[in-house]
Amino acid sequence: MTPQEKATTEPKRIIFEHEREMPPMVVSLGTVLFNKTGTWRYLRPIYEEKMSPCNNACPAGTNIQGFIHLIRERKFVEAWRLIKETNPLPGVCGRVCPHPCELECNRRKYDEAISIHALERLAADSAFNEEASEELRLPRRKERIAIVGSGPAGLSCAYFLAKEGYQVTVFEALSAVGGMLRVGIPKYRLPREVLDKEIANIEALGVSFKTNSKIQDIRELKDYDAVVVAIGAQKSRRLNIPGEDVAGVISGMEFLKEVNLDGKTQIGKNVIIIGGGNTAIDAARSALRLGAKSTLIYRRSREEMPAIEEEVEAASKEGVEIIYLASPTKIIAQAGRVSEVEFVKMRLGEPDETGRKRPIPIEGSEFTRQADTVIAALGEEADLSLLPKGLELSESGVNFDGMQVFGGGDVVTLAGRVVDAIASGRRTANAIVRYFQGGEPESKPVKKLVSFENINTAYFPHQAAVKPSELPLAERISSFAEINLSISVEDGVREAERCFSCGVCRQCDNCLNFCPEVAVSRRNSTYEINYDYCKGCGICATECPGNVISLVEEGR
Amino acid sequence: MKKVITGNRAVAYGAMLSRPKVIAAYPITPQTTIVEYLASFCADGTLNAKFINVESEHSAMAACIGASATGVRTFTATSSHGLALMHEMLHVASFYRLPIVMANVNRSLGIWNIHSDQTDSLSQRDTGWLQFYCENNQEVLDTVIQAYKISEKVLLPSMVVLEAFVLSHTSEIVDIPESELVDSFLPEYNPPYRLDPDDPHTFGAGPIGPDYYFEFRYKAQMAMEDALIVAKQVDEEFKEVFGRGYGLIEKYKTEDAEVILVTSGTISSTSRLVIDERRKKGERVGMLKIRLFRPFPREEIREALQGAEKVAVVDRNISFGQGGIFAQEIKSALCNLSQKPPVYGFITGLGGRDVTPEIIHQIIDHTLATERPEEIIWMGVKR
Repeated sequence: MTPQEKATTEPKRIIFEHEREMPPMVVSLGTVLFNKTGTWRYLRPIYEEKMSPCNNACPAGTNIQGFIHLIRERKFVEAWRLIKETNPLPGVCGRVCPHPCELECNRRKYDEAISIHALERLAADSAFNEEASEELRLPRRKERIAIVGSGPAGLSCAYFLAKEGYQVTVFEALSAVGGMLRVGIPKYRLPREVLDKEIANIEALGVSFKTNSKIQDIRELKDYDAVVVAIGAQKSRRLNIPGEDVAGVISGMEFLKEVNLDGKTQIGKNVIIIGGGNTAIDAARSALRLGAKSTLIYRRSREEMPAIEEEVEAASKEGVEIIYLASPTKIIAQAGRVSEVEFVKMRLGEPDETGRKRPIPIEGSEFTRQADTVIAALGEEADLSLLPKGLELSESGVNFDGMQVFGGGDVVTLAGRVVDAIASGRRTANAIVRYFQGGEPESKPVKKLVSFENINTAYFPHQAAVKPSELPLAERISSFAEINLSISVEDGVREAERCFSCGVCRQCDNCLNFCPEVAVSRRNSTYEINYDYCKGCGICATECPGNVISLVEEGR
Repeated sequence: MKKVITGNRAVAYGAMLSRPKVIAAYPITPQTTIVEYLASFCADGTLNAKFINVESEHSAMAACIGASATGVRTFTATSSHGLALMHEMLHVASFYRLPIVMANVNRSLGIWNIHSDQTDSLSQRDTGWLQFYCENNQEVLDTVIQAYKISEKVLLPSMVVLEAFVLSHTSEIVDIPESELVDSFLPEYNPPYRLDPDDPHTFGAGPIGPDYYFEFRYKAQMAMEDALIVAKQVDEEFKEVFGRGYGLIEKYKTEDAEVILVTSGTISSTSRLVIDERRKKGERVGMLKIRLFRPFPREEIREALQGAEKVAVVDRNISFGQGGIFAQEIKSALCNLSQKPPVYGFITGLGGRDVTPEIIHQIIDHTLATERPEEIIWMGVKR
């Protein structure tokens, strides 16, 4: 330090002998640069990005807050790219995912959750409209990987492996790619153009699809460097009641496959659907659209129903009659074809091993309903007959008879939702990458979770969520046209503005504007705190709308 | 340009023409429209100032103090309880020697009465602020501009006082000066010291112990004494430029007066009318209007009142346990004179009760008829 510098940074004591020497105003005549008021601080504010509850709740680990931020900045294609980092099917998930993220959204405790699904869909549809594409950044690798099954798990696994440069071939038993997305989910929830576009994007990365290629035994694929079994669960459980095998009784999956793939089916005018899962609801609503009277019968109550709540509501609204607490006891046939179903009423007992209340038949409460078609949708299980005995599938893979075999999706998780299958497919892809390249398994970043109490809601006026409009009821039940309509770009941006950005900086400048010590400065898109002058008052942390700034105790 | 405008609008024009850089104010009846006018001037670009919305009058004054310390011209306005809430900050502003200008609309205190009463501003007598009491809307506008010039010369804050409704919401013809003319009269504020992050000095920070506090107070009083001279000069200069001057006090027919009424604000207008009537009858009655209350122009007042036989002070305020506040001030100005007239203290018009010509007649009658002066004479109270 030069003497001159020292003179301006060191305290100086000035003694006044006469009032005339004193300034009129109460100012120090020497500089106060020496006075590092930051030394008074016992709490230190730090910028610490945290985990938003939506991101935390997403099984696929999508950076939801991040893509919403991009939408807010009208960067729709970039939002789509960000989603694709963890989920190759935003167009699909924006439509069919039951969005557990919205259930956890902090804004739900304020007014309404952000319509995350509508924003995801907006990002995906914008990318479709702009014909955005992805490029492979890594060189092609020599390893060949076979994936059995082209459902969401298989597609996800194929996508992430292709992006790593692996040569991927997907084997599909049916005539079209997509698995449950194509044969299970009705078109009114997922238009096939959307699915086709997302599959085409995966294909564009070099993934080859072989349809009509049922793999009977995985040993057929022993020439591949790795094999992924992602065949899902599509074998319907049986009713196990007398008369089950008469004409007119079909399984939910069989029915949906006919409707979705072939577009033709032979059902009567009076259809009874048995079950309470998504297959049952999809079947009931599809039957309604084919002109039938559709009655759904479930053995527990509404509360225990595993189907997506909104879908159950929509089914009722459309005219599906739902009878709770009844279970079929026998199918009564006339001339070899179903004519009636006998049911027994149920009551709920103690919770069973699934945590749901066990249904108990009420003796003597039997009743019958007329039906010309019965759709049994009691859930599906995986048909693993392609595996040799003793092979247990897992996402991390096993070596069997010289083959490296991995599992992905419902065959390992049984979770059932599209998003779970996508997440599992990605984990499997990562396991394969590690198998070939080494490295540590991906772990969820350890970040503090932001709760509603951490949000400074003063900065967020109450505002209702933007909800996608729906096709009018009359149009819905007479066709398979998509029910939920897209939201407009402006609505999307407005909705994105509602986002609290829990734990992530929105660059609102509040910390900078409110700091009484002028100790915060902005450098491009980040902020810096000058700890020489920060007294640790905490105003920045209080005024940060999204809980990005934390106060930590100073070490002494 | 002449316009028919209310007192509050005159305040807003006066402030706007003075080009403050920062305005921080909190609305209170009957001051509210001042804030509204100024906010709209800022919004539509008529005035290039930062308008800071605050959550209270205390914060309004605090914001003005902070802004003024950085060396910019600031303005605020308030009334009654708003002024009372500012009290602590009023002391700070004057100790820091910040030439903030504030309009106060005189309104009663203590309960929900929104009408004219001087006790709010007079309660702030000892805070170190200059205080001007205005008689009409033109004087209000002109005094705001003058106040900046005086304050910035002596480095003390100024309060420009106008009465609730009688002026604040009553329209009169006001000549609004050309802004170029005001600019030439009122140069930009350029204080000797200012808060500057590039050259940091403390400003009003840190303890000022017995070593220097005393000296700062001495210097503030010296500045008040200077203000008496500066205010007179500025008023004369203003008269040269704009053709209107007011003086620190106004003597109306006092030369040969037997009884001199001492008034302030709008009561002066009413009194002038009554005095003219009494003069026609040959009675020797005059009036002394006090425009500048702080600093108190005691020499001019002594000179004006010395020859009177009786002095009647009209107070629209009261210091409980003592009496009218102007009466006390007048008595204290006169008490060290060897030859001094007796002072009659009249209290009237509290809480917006009209002070009519009849009341002024009664005040004169009572003064003429009573031999011994009384400390408190209640005019118009129902008792």
